[in-house]
Amino acid sequence: MAGVKTTPEIKEITKIERIGAHSHIRGLGLDDTLEARAVSQGMVGQKEARRAAGVILKMIQAGQIAGRAILLAGQPGTGKTAIAMGMAKALGEETPFAMMAASELFSLEMSKTEALTQAFRKAIGVRIKEETEIIEGEVVEIEIDRPATTGSAAKTGKVTLKTTEMETIYDLGQKMIESLQKEKVQAGDVIAIDKASGRISKLGRSFARSRDYDAMGPATKFVQCPEGELQKRKEVVHVVTLHEIDVINSRSQGFLALFAGDTGEIRSEVREQIDGKVAEWREEGKADIVPGVLFIDEVHMLDIECFSFLNRALENDLAPIVVVATNRGITKIRGTNYKSPHGIPIDLLDRLLIIQTKPYSEEELRLIIDIRCEEEDVEMSDDAKELLTKIGTETSLRYAMQLITSSYLIAKRRKAAEVDIEDVSKSYSLFVDVKRSTQFLIEYQDQYMFNEIKASEVQPMES
Amino acid sequence: MLRQGGKSTSFVSGTKKSVHTTFKDGSELVEEYDLKTDELLVRKKRSKTKLGGEGKWEYLVGDAPVHFNAEGSTIMESSSNPIFSRKDTDRHFQWRIRNLPYPSENYEISIDHSDNKIVVRTKNKKYYKRIEVPEMKMLDASLSEGALSWHHANNTLVVSHQKPREVLELELKDKTERKTMETRKDDGDVQCNQQ
Repeated sequence: MAGVKTTPEIKEITKIERIGAHSHIRGLGLDDTLEARAVSQGMVGQKEARRAAGVILKMIQAGQIAGRAILLAGQPGTGKTAIAMGMAKALGEETPFAMMAASELFSLEMSKTEALTQAFRKAIGVRIKEETEIIEGEVVEIEIDRPATTGSAAKTGKVTLKTTEMETIYDLGQKMIESLQKEKVQAGDVIAIDKASGRISKLGRSFARSRDYDAMGPATKFVQCPEGELQKRKEVVHVVTLHEIDVINSRSQGFLALFAGDTGEIRSEVREQIDGKVAEWREEGKADIVPGVLFIDEVHMLDIECFSFLNRALENDLAPIVVVATNRGITKIRGTNYKSPHGIPIDLLDRLLIIQTKPYSEEELRLIIDIRCEEEDVEMSDDAKELLTKIGTETSLRYAMQLITSSYLIAKRRKAAEVDIEDVSKSYSLFVDVKRSTQFLIEYQDQYMFNEIKASEVQPMES
Repeated sequence: MLRQGGKSTSFVSGTKKSVHTTFKDGSELVEEYDLKTDELLVRKKRSKTKLGGEGKWEYLVGDAPVHFNAEGSTIMESSSNPIFSRKDTDRHFQWRIRNLPYPSENYEISIDHSDNKIVVRTKNKKYYKRIEVPEMKMLDASLSEGALSWHHANNTLVVSHQKPREVLELELKDKTERKTMETRKDDGDVQCNQQ
C-alpha cells in the first residue's frame, strides 16, 4: 500500500535580523547639552570621545562646513567603529552615511581614486522633488495563494483597491507580496504604492471601517478613502546621493543598456555635467544639498596616493564630512618607507580633528557585557559575568564578547536556563585567546613548518 | 502635429512605417503607421526623468505590451480589469474601454472644463477615468459636449469626440510631411531601429 503523501506544514518565517557586533548601538547616547550619559543607546564609557563626536554631529547637521575630516584613533576594541555607527544612527535616515573599509578601494576593476571619488559622492545627498506614479487607494480585499508544494512555484496574489469612484484588481509580484506581508496590510487600510520602486506606505485606516469591532491600537489613524483615479502622478520629495545620479546618467542609453552590467568607472564629464545640473537646481530652489558622512575604517590601509588625493578632495565644496578610524600607532605609511603617526602623512593629519578612544575600565566592560547579553538574548548569572569581565580585562573585549555566545551554547547543552560560571570557564578552556595562542607558539615554534633549519645555522653564501 | 519642434527620422520595417522623433529636452516620440492604409497603429512617448534616467513609454495611441512576471515585477493591473486604449478614426478621437460588462445606463460621460478632460464615470463605482487629449491641449482648444458621443456594446464602451477643423488640417499637413520624409527601408528583423 502506498503511503499517504502529506505536504509539510508551511511555516511563514518573518525575517530574523542577524545580530552583528554593533547591532546594540542606537545612537551616541548624548543628552541635549551634548553631555555623554553613562549608559545610553547601547553606548558605555568613552565619554570624551562621544562628546567630541556629538560636536561633530552638530556640525554635520548644520550642513555649512564642507570637507572636514575627523580621525578616531585608539587601540583595538575601544569602540571606534561603535562611535561611527552611533553617529550614523543619530543622524537618521535622511542623511547619507557611507561606510567602507580602506581595503575596499583596492580593486582590479577600478582605480583607487575612482573608488574614493565614488565613496565621496555616496556621502552627499540631494533632496529633490520628483514626479512619480503612485497607486493610492483603500484595500478592499487581499488574497495571497501559496502553492501546495514548497519551493518550486512562486506565490501569487491579488489585491483589490478602490477609491470613492472606482475599483481595480491588481496582480502582485513576489516582492510586492513580501512587502505587503511585512507591512501587515489588510482590508480596510488605505495605502500608497510607488509604482516604480514598489515601496508601500500605509496612510491609515479607512473611516468606513472605524466602527468595526476590531481590536485597534490607540495609534490607529483614520483617513478618508482617496478620491478620483487610483493611479496618480504625484510629486514626492526624496533624497538621492550624487553617486546614484551619476550611475543613472552614465548608463549607456538605448539598446546598449542591455549589455551594460556594472557601471564601472564614471567619466568625469558626466560628473561635471551633474554638478552643474545640481548647482542649477539649487539656484532655482528645486533641490537642497544634504551633506553626509563618509566613514573609512582601517584608514592606515590607504596608500600615499590615496592620502594625497584625500588632501585635494577635501577642499572641494561638495565634499562630505570624512570620518576615518585607525588602530595603529607610529607606523609606515603604505606605499612609502616613511614612518608617521597613525600611518597617515603629516600634511593630512594636520587637517584632521583627532578624537582619541581609550581602553575601557573594568566597570565599563561589565556594562558592555550586560548590554551584549541582552542583545544576544543570553541569560547569564552575575558570577559568570564577573568572570567574563575579568577575562575581558586580561585579554580583550572582543574575546570576552565572543565567549558569550559560545558559553551560551555550552549551557544549552546541559539544558540550563542560565549561563553559569562553569560554562564560561569551559568555553575559556576550549577557545584560546591571542595571548595564550602566542605563548603556545613561542613554546612549540620548532615543531611547526619551515623551522627545520635554525636561522643561526644558515651560512651566508660566499660571493 | 505632435512632432513639432523635434527632429524626425523614418523607416519602414515589415508592414509598418515608423517615425521616430527626438526633442531638445531628450524626450522621444515614436509613431507607427500601417504601410497600406496609412492608419496610425501606435503612438508612444517618453521623456527623461528629472535625474536623467530613461522614463517609461507612455502609450498615447494603441495598446501597451504587457510584461508581468510574478517573480520580478512588483504590481500590475490584472487582465480582468477594464482595458483603456485610444484608436482614432479619420474624423474622431476615439477611445475604447474593453472589459466593461455593465449595461449602458451605468455610464456617465461628461467634460470637465476646469482641466479640459473627458470624464468617464460609472454609477456602480467600478470604473473612473479622466481622459486628456494631447492634441487639444497643444492647440489650447477646449472640448465641447456637442462633439462628444459614446455607445456601449459587446462589453466595450466607445467614446468619440469630433476632431475640430484645426486638428484635421494639421493632420493633413502631417500626412504630406510623412510622405515626403526621407525613409530608409529595412528588410528583415532589425532589432535596434531607434538608434
